Amino acid sequence: MDLLAHLEAYAATADEASFSRAADRLGIAQPLLSRRIKTLEEHFGGLLFDRSRRQITITELGALLLPYARDVLDRAQRLRQVAGTAGRARTQAVGVPAHCAPAALARAIRAGAEHGITLGMRELPPAERASGLADGSLSYALVRVPPERGAFQVPLGLASAPEASGGGRGPEYDGVRRAVHLEDLRPRRGRGAERTAPPPVLTLPEDQVPSCEDRLERAVARAGLPPGRFRPAGPAATALAETLAGRALLLCAEPLARQHGARWAPLGDRSLHRGYDVSGAPDRSGSAEVPHWLVPLLASAAGAAARGPGGPGSGTGAEDVPARLAARG
Amino acid sequence: MSMAPVYVADDGALLDVAEAIVADWAALGVRGSFLARHLGTGEQLGFDVDELMPLASVVKVPLALVVLDRIASGELDPAHPVTVDPAQSSVGPTGLAAFRHPARVAVGDLLLMMLSVSDNAAADTLLDLVRVADVDERLRAWGCGEIRMRHRLNHMYECAAGAAGNDFSLALELALRDERAGRHTIETLDPAYANAGSAAALVELLRRVWCDEVSTPTATAELRRLMGLQVFTHRLAGELRADSLRWSGKTGTFLHLRHEIGVAEAESGDRVAMAALTRADRCAGLAPDVDLAIGAAGREAFEALRR
Repeated sequence: MDLLAHLEAYAATADEASFSRAADRLGIAQPLLSRRIKTLEEHFGGLLFDRSRRQITITELGALLLPYARDVLDRAQRLRQVAGTAGRARTQAVGVPAHCAPAALARAIRAGAEHGITLGMRELPPAERASGLADGSLSYALVRVPPERGAFQVPLGLASAPEASGGGRGPEYDGVRRAVHLEDLRPRRGRGAERTAPPPVLTLPEDQVPSCEDRLERAVARAGLPPGRFRPAGPAATALAETLAGRALLLCAEPLARQHGARWAPLGDRSLHRGYDVSGAPDRSGSAEVPHWLVPLLASAAGAAARGPGGPGSGTGAEDVPARLAARG
Repeated sequence: MSMAPVYVADDGALLDVAEAIVADWAALGVRGSFLARHLGTGEQLGFDVDELMPLASVVKVPLALVVLDRIASGELDPAHPVTVDPAQSSVGPTGLAAFRHPARVAVGDLLLMMLSVSDNAAADTLLDLVRVADVDERLRAWGCGEIRMRHRLNHMYECAAGAAGNDFSLALELALRDERAGRHTIETLDPAYANAGSAAALVELLRRVWCDEVSTPTATAELRRLMGLQVFTHRLAGELRADSLRWSGKTGTFLHLRHEIGVAEAESGDRVAMAALTRADRCAGLAPDVDLAIGAAGREAFEALRR
């Protein structure tokens, strides 16, 4: 017995309260439909419809079983859909951060085509890239890791208003680009004292990863800045507008700042930069292979820098440690 | 914890100043209590003045008063020499606590070291001569309100190192976390177990010291002299520095606590006693903007209260 076909006949008859209309709807002959109902009644050991009157009605047993029959039909339908999309989906989704360079992503897509893979780029926040790999909705993704562990690093820096229209000191002098240090953001006293409140530093969703935020918060406190000075930006467009207007600084990578004509200087502390690995979704055997040609292409799309010399050093370390824990003056 | 502050102010203008201080501190992530009182007019302004706080090194002021009282009564000789051996003395960044070789110092000079550079070893050496319990009993007998002496100064270091194993950042993080959770891993941060006091009780003590209404005039005069010799000027003193003003104070700093108490005296005769007891919600050893905000509060209060 083709159970699904028989259940379809049963559900259609219950909906239409008529054998002929149900047969029309299913596009089968009425005798075939009647036979299916009868077979099903024998199978379940009871009548599903009362045929004693002109208008057929559903029996108590028929009404009881109907929701279960519909459930089986729904699930079968979903099974067919999933099987259908899986068959069609030759596209491998790649999770990338917001504000990647479009031309570099295009190079990755073309390289995929040369290797016989259709890549689809999906711009997602960091947490969703990691969860997408885990639930299989992404084949590959750029995953945030601490910069000292990552396969590549993207320098983070501060974007500020172009020219001298406020928003902090110009980080570029004589064509030499200098790093910004968090201590530089302390309000100035004395002759250079600012008359207005110091501009807030806005952070993008890409950097709202708990481990990175903890690290940044600690560095901000150690540099003598109040905790409220760095805060999450709303949408990137408004954050950029505030930045270009000189009312805020934006913590971002260089391409985003350049693209919108903002000034940009890297943070001197490399341990605060972005670190990435390119990871693949684990296959049936549990291994997660990433094609070797994909890594440099995605790195360049994200704005990666060549790995510079020297690791992130922090702390002066020369102090008398116990004395710091004691009561002080 | 984050309840609205309870203000103390004798008129609307003084209330404005108190409110501005709260807003200024809150912008930097600082909470605490503040009280400033004009010793002539009795006018005052402040907020949360009865909140109990661990005093950190501020407790050295009542300790000094008890020791000076013993000296005044002849029980202690200020010239009596004591040997301080670094191998056994208390931890600290200044004074005898930072010494590497044994030193013989007179009792009177231990007081100077304790108040001028906040010397923990000098304080604990004095507590060998006058027991902690005796100091506490004396303060109660004088009616010093909630000011309590419960432990030696080195106990703060021992508790912090016990909880965090000599890791300053970790101790600081524990302190901040505990402050949010409302229970204390580092016992000396719990007002119920620490050397504790309130801004109201400390300002009242300063008033009695400056008006010779506690202990004996020889003891209070010496305490005023010694408090005028403090070398730290980064906090309340910061904005009250002029040849025409005199600041006599004592700071207290431990992990996220930043305090100072003292009296500002002007040539015009105005004398304002004040106490600022703060906690910062920030994992930083140095926070010059917080120190500056405390200093700014002291100056605002002094200018609002002086006649």
